[in-house]
Amino acid sequence: MAKNLSGDLSVASANRLVDGVVVFLDDAGQWTTRFELAAVARDKRGGEILLERARAEAFGVIDPFLVAVSEDDDGRIEPISLREKIRASGLTFDAIAAEAVRYA
Amino acid sequence: MPDTHFYRPTHFYQYDDYDRTLVSERVEQFRDQVRRRIAGELTEEQFKPLRLTNGLYLQLHAYMLRIAIPYGTLSSRQLRKLADISRKYDRGYGHFTTRQNLQLNWIKLEDAPDALAALAEVDMHAMQTSGNCIRNVTADHYAGAAIDEIEDPRIWCEIVRQWSTLHPEFSFLPRKFKIAITGSPNDRAAVRVHDIGLRLWANEAGDVGFEVIVGGGLGRTPMIGKTLREFLPRDELLAYLEATLRVYNRYGRRDNLYKARIKILVHEIGAEKMREEVEAEYAAIKDGALKLPAETIEAIARQFAPPPLPHRPAVVAEVEGLKLDDREFALWLKSNVAPHRMAGYRIVTASLKPAGAPPGDASAVQMEGVADIADAYSQGEIRVSHEQNLILPHVAVEDLPAVWRALGRLGFAEANVGKITDIIACPGLDYCALANARSIPVAQRISNHFAELARQHDIGDLKIKISGCINACGHHHVGHIGILGVDKNGVELYQLSLGGDVDFGKTAIGAILGPAVTADKVVEAVDAMVATYLDNRGDGERFVDTYRRIGAQPFKERVYAAV
Amino acid sequence: MPLFSETGSATILEPLPFAEWQQRPAWPAVSLANTDPVEDLAPHVGRLRLIVLSFPKFSDGRAYSQARLLRGRLGYAGELRATGGVLQDQLPFMLRCGFDSFESDQKGFGEALAKARTLFSVVYQPAEDDRAPASLLRLSRHKVLSPRA
Repeated sequence: MAKNLSGDLSVASANRLVDGVVVFLDDAGQWTTRFELAAVARDKRGGEILLERARAEAFGVIDPFLVAVSEDDDGRIEPISLREKIRASGLTFDAIAAEAVRYA
Repeated sequence: MPDTHFYRPTHFYQYDDYDRTLVSERVEQFRDQVRRRIAGELTEEQFKPLRLTNGLYLQLHAYMLRIAIPYGTLSSRQLRKLADISRKYDRGYGHFTTRQNLQLNWIKLEDAPDALAALAEVDMHAMQTSGNCIRNVTADHYAGAAIDEIEDPRIWCEIVRQWSTLHPEFSFLPRKFKIAITGSPNDRAAVRVHDIGLRLWANEAGDVGFEVIVGGGLGRTPMIGKTLREFLPRDELLAYLEATLRVYNRYGRRDNLYKARIKILVHEIGAEKMREEVEAEYAAIKDGALKLPAETIEAIARQFAPPPLPHRPAVVAEVEGLKLDDREFALWLKSNVAPHRMAGYRIVTASLKPAGAPPGDASAVQMEGVADIADAYSQGEIRVSHEQNLILPHVAVEDLPAVWRALGRLGFAEANVGKITDIIACPGLDYCALANARSIPVAQRISNHFAELARQHDIGDLKIKISGCINACGHHHVGHIGILGVDKNGVELYQLSLGGDVDFGKTAIGAILGPAVTADKVVEAVDAMVATYLDNRGDGERFVDTYRRIGAQPFKERVYAAV
Repeated sequence: MPLFSETGSATILEPLPFAEWQQRPAWPAVSLANTDPVEDLAPHVGRLRLIVLSFPKFSDGRAYSQARLLRGRLGYAGELRATGGVLQDQLPFMLRCGFDSFESDQKGFGEALAKARTLFSVVYQPAEDDRAPASLLRLSRHKVLSPRA
């Protein structure tokens, strides 16, 4: 599936202050745990604006930053770097306890 | 739930009301700091060192709490509480680390003060397990039970623990500071790769003192420590440490995070100059308030007096019989059971490296299971080794079959201690914000590939250590096979090194073998290394001995032909 | 910047920066960079009434050692002031190292200073505040319980 890997697409992410959970800024300027709801900036300038917005909403999260993403033909986005993939989806193996998050 | 277990008397330092007061005041201080942070009265920059010195890291997915297990020693009651805390505040499991601590990976900041308060109930804490301060002082995990021990190093770990806790002068050092102490000539505490390593030994007059080794460390620039003082009288230890820390605090580099450890200072000014500076400062303070009165030392030493172990037979028919009947029991005896200073006892290692599992992890159920076994068969005491296993230090030979079976029910009886699947691995990119690559899946693949026990015992002693980044928390520099995960253009690659060591008084940094390999080739590479060893080994040679004898070339050729 | 002191009486003497002060050592107030050698002040500690030490960032802890050396080694008994990155959460350490006045613009600093000595009723090591460490208290407690010659 062709991916848009031009490197211009980004979402804003942070860790929530009270519990460290990974969150993404959605279109309404709220922080969501659901990666698929993240607001996507489509170019560099859009990314700067998105980051400014994230910083303005930073009360309750720690140090927002931009995550480079790619988009497939169906419009599904995915982080480009392995680190951010893991942040978005969890451990890449089965941890001992059943409640651990699994990478899909 | 009411605490109904019978608690055996413990044989290590027990908190008095001074210790308890300090820990609980620290918890209350942190509770207020968390409140102020959540209310926005503290910025993250101001709050970060405060939470780090209470053991709280921010990782990829959540906060991680690193709980201190001083000198790797736990009572069964404490281990049960850790299980409890992992259930109540985390996801029901924890990871035992290469510095004898326990990490919980899914802690919430808002729960952290309560988790710390729960720890305080069993005289535990997370103070100074992170941050630019003096960290948990580690010891030989066989301390108090080992056959070759000169003096129990944990006495001194406790003395140093107290001196270093909330030390007002040394809470904002250039960088973290790690101290390790061994009481045996066979250094199981890796003292030569710590910021300060202390080795207890007896001189010709029969006096016991410390060799003081400074400036060892792994990470970006691995270095073996230099002996600053051959023999330091024991009661002058704190003065010497204070002098060393003061020199470091004043002159350690603060311009570059990666050049801020004491090993860089020693390297840059030279061991001779370092010794001069430390000895001058030490001379000025050694007869002051830090000199340890004999009574203070004895009061602490008494608490580490070994448990009064009743005499038990050294040779037991049931054990001999089972050895013949059950090959797995026989292999387990060989690899997981070590001699004890008393003939009728053994030191048993519970292997936290079952085939294919994340190394060093234990669920709450498993922790409680080990606590039960410790109560029944090991004087209620457990140790944590820096190789991410748990240890039952005082098991009677007669009880070995029962312990083996009980550990087996927990999944902790794999006969692989010291063998190729007894892998040491850091959490890596699955958990850690500092990592460049994953380490746990690599460990799992190697572990699954070599799972067959007879083969493992044929290969013999072989330590594989894996780090997911140059910070080397997996101690890859000192693995017989070291594996370092790196990131090249977004791809995980693994750099291989051979010949590292920290055992039996020998400290060596591994040499890189050749170009890094992709994740899917690591198993082939290790296979090729093992095959080279098996083809070339001399009588009684371990993997690392053969490597030292024949050199890297044969290994290099075979590995790079295979990948 | 607001000035706080425990006794409420911080001096208004203007400190000279170290290099300048070395030209005029009779002046009773000096401010040091955290890389300046405190040992050089030894002949003058009797005369000095104010020494200002610096924390360029609150995480740069060199001035803690300077403070202890001034108080403990050199016997300095005048006002010892902390400036730079001075935050209330470091007050317990600063007080133990011998600081007694502070320049800080952090909100709530004054209230925190009033409470800072009471946060910890137990200390584990000797410093410059004459508090007895737990190890010493244990010795005297033991003597009380089992008096022996």
